Amino acid sequence: MNPEPFLQLDRVIHEKGRLGIMSMLAASPELSFTELRDTLDMTDGNITTHIRTLQEAGYISVSKSYEKNRPLTTCSLTAAGRKAFTNHVNLLEQIVQQARGK
Amino acid sequence: MKTDQAAEQLQTIRTLMERSALYRRALAPVMLFAGAFGVIAAIVGTWLHLDSIKPFGCLWLSTAIVVISGAFIIARRQALKENEAFWSAPTRRIAQALLPSLSAGMGMGLVLMQIAGINGFTSLLTSLWVVFYGCALNSAGHFTLRGMKLFGWLFIAGGCGALVFVSFVGSINSHHLMGIFFGGLHLAYGIYLYLTEKRKNVV
Repeated sequence: MNPEPFLQLDRVIHEKGRLGIMSMLAASPELSFTELRDTLDMTDGNITTHIRTLQEAGYISVSKSYEKNRPLTTCSLTAAGRKAFTNHVNLLEQIVQQARGK
Repeated sequence: MKTDQAAEQLQTIRTLMERSALYRRALAPVMLFAGAFGVIAAIVGTWLHLDSIKPFGCLWLSTAIVVISGAFIIARRQALKENEAFWSAPTRRIAQALLPSLSAGMGMGLVLMQIAGINGFTSLLTSLWVVFYGCALNSAGHFTLRGMKLFGWLFIAGGCGALVFVSFVGSINSHHLMGIFFGGLHLAYGIYLYLTEKRKNVV
């Protein structure tokens, strides 16, 4: 099997929690912190850490606002994040295709 | 990384994207539509004294057909508005999740309408319909809002409670029971969704 796709996998996205966040944001223009946390069944601390990692990698943007006097944090994919996510999915598909072709 | 892990990751991505894409699609208007028809049907049933099982079953099965058709139209209108395919993979998954329990409930209702001759069966039918509907919502909750699963559990618990009540305590007006569950609960959930919606429907 060609090891190339394995080596190209993005370690930032590859982690299960971050992959979940990226997957959800890939299908929605933006999602709130609460929506991500509840759907992915993560703790506040856990999801905050993953969001920070993705933000530092330039894959997601985080905006803070207020709604009915309550703080509202929303996340969305950046162009770089969308590209990295698409690339990651393509690599995973390549890995699966290679195994099927064996 | 093993190949099966890659396949598993792809499946996880697909599931989460579908779940995210379905997020609140037309859910609040569908809930309000179903709730309004539930309340109207309960009022009509009570007012016209449709208490024996055949008229009772006919009224509520007709209401179910109208509500299901209306829900499809509302979801389709929203999909068209967003320039998306209506019969998408996420929609199919939701429909597939709802179908077994809803079909079982409808089928059981038709059978009971044929074999039952006394009024007491309407309470039994109501309780079982509520439970079956709760099961359908709970299954659908795997592909949409988490709240939908809890909403399903509410119906299941309520249906079981009603079943225990009519079996051991006393009778309840079946139209009132249907109105509370299929009218009141839908309306309450629809209002809750509208009030908690942070933005316009995503996707």
